[in-house]
Amino acid sequence: MAGMGALAGKRVVGSDSWTSSESILTVRDLHCSFGGVKAVNGASFSVQRGAITGIIGPNGAGKTTLFNIIAGSVKPARGAIFLEGRNVAGLRADQLAALGLTRTFQLARSLGDLTVLENFALYARDQPGESLWRALVGSQSVVAQEKAVLDQAWELARRLNLVRVANDRVETLSGGQKKLVELGRALLGEPSLLLLDEPIAGVNPTLGAEIGKHLLAIRDSGVSILVIEHNMSFIGRICDHVIVMGAGSVLAEGSFEEIRANEAVQSAYLGMSA
Amino acid sequence: MLQVFQLLVNGVMAGAILAVPAIGFNIVFAVLQISNFSIAALIAVGAYAGYTANVLLGLPPLLAILAAFLISGAAGVASDRLALRPLRGYGAIAVAIASLALNMVLENIVRFIFGNDVRSLDVPMMRDWIFEGIHVGPQAVFNFLVAIAAMVALFSLLSFTTVGRAMRAVADNPTLANIKGIDPEKMARLAVFLGMGMAGIAGVLLALDTAVDPTIGMRVVLSVFAAAVLGGLGSIPGAVVGGLLIGLAEQLSTLVVPVAYSSAIGFAAIILALLLFPRGILGDR
Amino acid sequence: MISYLVALLTFGAIYALLALGLNLMWGIAGMVNLGILGYYALGGYSSALLTMHLGIPVWLGVIAGALITALFGAATCIGLVKLRDDYLAIVTLGFAEVMRNIAENFVSLTNGTDGLAQIPRPRLGVTGSDFNVVYLVICVMVVLVVLAAMERLRAAPFGRVLRALRADPMVAASAGKNVLGFQVRTLAVGGFVLGLGGALYAHYLTYISPEVFQPQLMIYVFLALILGGRGNNYGAVLGTVLVLAIVEGTRFLADLVHGLDAVQIGALRAFVIGVAFIVVLQKRPHGLLPEPRRIYTDPAARS
Repeated sequence: MAGMGALAGKRVVGSDSWTSSESILTVRDLHCSFGGVKAVNGASFSVQRGAITGIIGPNGAGKTTLFNIIAGSVKPARGAIFLEGRNVAGLRADQLAALGLTRTFQLARSLGDLTVLENFALYARDQPGESLWRALVGSQSVVAQEKAVLDQAWELARRLNLVRVANDRVETLSGGQKKLVELGRALLGEPSLLLLDEPIAGVNPTLGAEIGKHLLAIRDSGVSILVIEHNMSFIGRICDHVIVMGAGSVLAEGSFEEIRANEAVQSAYLGMSA
Repeated sequence: MLQVFQLLVNGVMAGAILAVPAIGFNIVFAVLQISNFSIAALIAVGAYAGYTANVLLGLPPLLAILAAFLISGAAGVASDRLALRPLRGYGAIAVAIASLALNMVLENIVRFIFGNDVRSLDVPMMRDWIFEGIHVGPQAVFNFLVAIAAMVALFSLLSFTTVGRAMRAVADNPTLANIKGIDPEKMARLAVFLGMGMAGIAGVLLALDTAVDPTIGMRVVLSVFAAAVLGGLGSIPGAVVGGLLIGLAEQLSTLVVPVAYSSAIGFAAIILALLLFPRGILGDR
Repeated sequence: MISYLVALLTFGAIYALLALGLNLMWGIAGMVNLGILGYYALGGYSSALLTMHLGIPVWLGVIAGALITALFGAATCIGLVKLRDDYLAIVTLGFAEVMRNIAENFVSLTNGTDGLAQIPRPRLGVTGSDFNVVYLVICVMVVLVVLAAMERLRAAPFGRVLRALRADPMVAASAGKNVLGFQVRTLAVGGFVLGLGGALYAHYLTYISPEVFQPQLMIYVFLALILGGRGNNYGAVLGTVLVLAIVEGTRFLADLVHGLDAVQIGALRAFVIGVAFIVVLQKRPHGLLPEPRRIYTDPAARS
């Protein structure tokens, strides 16, 4: 029987391995608390390049806070975060996005006033038309790039089956379509690492399965993915590696089968949701 | 040194009066989550209600203050019902901007009736009391005591009565309060009545301190906002602390900058406080 | 009558600049600013003082006044934009009051409540009523240029980022946009437009005093933008025209009601305008012109 000790023992705690080329993201001993509550308490793990890594754990385990810290929205009390071998702890969200790290939000935080295409186009990186001066005077490069961005946006809309509503304001879309918009715009920035916070929460099973297929295709195109999700069959279907969190730190990690066989994990989490 | 003590005394007196409308502003904010900028005009409404009661009807100052409380409170509730409540669905900022227009409307109603002339309340001139070289005006002491009494009365209402506790429950968590059977709309009306009533009291106190004209509220409103923000929007104890701090800061600032800039001191205090405490000193929202 | 209309339209053009500046800050980028008159006055006073004391040409002074206001706008942005809306509203309102306080009391610079008189007018080669007509044409051209520039900004990817900031700054940051950087630029450009308006005002009247801070004016500008349609630059201009019509229309109230003194007539007009504002906000909260929505054509459908 693979107990928790055995799982934990698989981790190699050597400083070199934390920044190995195998892993795109490495988190080491992260701490963060709000008003005396330790939301994240010594979390350490790595995210494999070109794989889908799932994070599971009961509500309040610190998963979303962990995302907020990695994505630069919340400052950690201490700890290190290596993205592509570079310590990025303390960088702002926009600086991290420029380095290829893009995240989605648990509750679809859509830009409701903007259309689907505008939501997508916003996420394109290095747009000359976002410079105040170039926006004012205009130039060939602005026009050309905007056309390229919109072509990409249409392409995404086609892939996600949103062509029919591409020019609609996002606030008029259904909850499931909003989730697709959220996923789509994260892709337009051509991220190397994608953080997805509950991508199928509140989505019907058919669409959930479709999103799962999209994620596998995204992984196969070379993007690394870290995903929080409560739906175990979804996790089992798409994840190459699973991390179990509880009380702000990593309880166990391994393949989905290993995790499922782990009694401690079952009692901590799986048993509750089964 | 004596000068500093004198300014400290003046600052506490002025601060207590500022705290009264600042509490009014914050009690409305606490229950409705709305900045009602028409409080400036309701200070003027109170001042003229007091003037009418005191000078035209010959009532004593305490009754004039009571009249101001009732009339400003009622005017606050009526104008909120007509002008602002229909806008609540469009967000706090829409209401705040509308309240600026409402302020213009109310101030000009007052101006239409009473004109721009500066008027004084009917109070006897009295010689200052002097303690160890510090001058204190009997009228200022009276005003200070009224301000304290008004605050104590409001605190007692909020702390010891069922309706006060219900109102605080709405401020803390409107959904939960609604489940418990408290009507949030009724509590909102009561909060506006009490808050704007406090503004009315402040109007008379300011009128007793100086004189009455339609811009009486506009003259102090920046200091009132400063006090409300400094203490933390929506916090009643915060408004008291904020009022005292702003009163002291404005008085003490006269040691280093000309008197005319004292209201700018209030603003500087806001900026400083918000850089240190983005939610105010006692704010928790 | 003609000269009245010319003066009215000149003020209208200047107020249209205020509405356009506010539209960029609040309508498009979502930063409420109740201190616009502070920027307006700063542009006016700066340009007036530069041309009076340093003797620089009027047009240079106007540009300098606008640039000073732009710098000032960028400076006030830092530290304030992180505030929640309620706090931002109060702080910006306080900012304008402080500017008024300074204008009234810094006598050696601003001449206090007496204001600055004999501000030079630009040399246009004409005088008297002809000057006023030419000045009006110039102001209208400035409005058209600013309108075109604001439209470009709105339609460009730059404007897309601003609208994203209005909706949710956290999402904009996750899209890789430097939130503070965009907000600083927005307040700088908006400040430039407001300062430009103030400078054009000062050199037109040849006089500026703390009366530019009248609270009604701020209400007019917000009313113009809300009536015309928040987020729509054409709406900002259209709204200004309509508000001007309402405000000037109330002048005729004086002829309708008799037996009132000047103060009462003034109070009645302010009352009517305030009520009009509240009614517009209640009946047409989204204004006459909706925010423009860009419809893109599918490249696949096109080919």
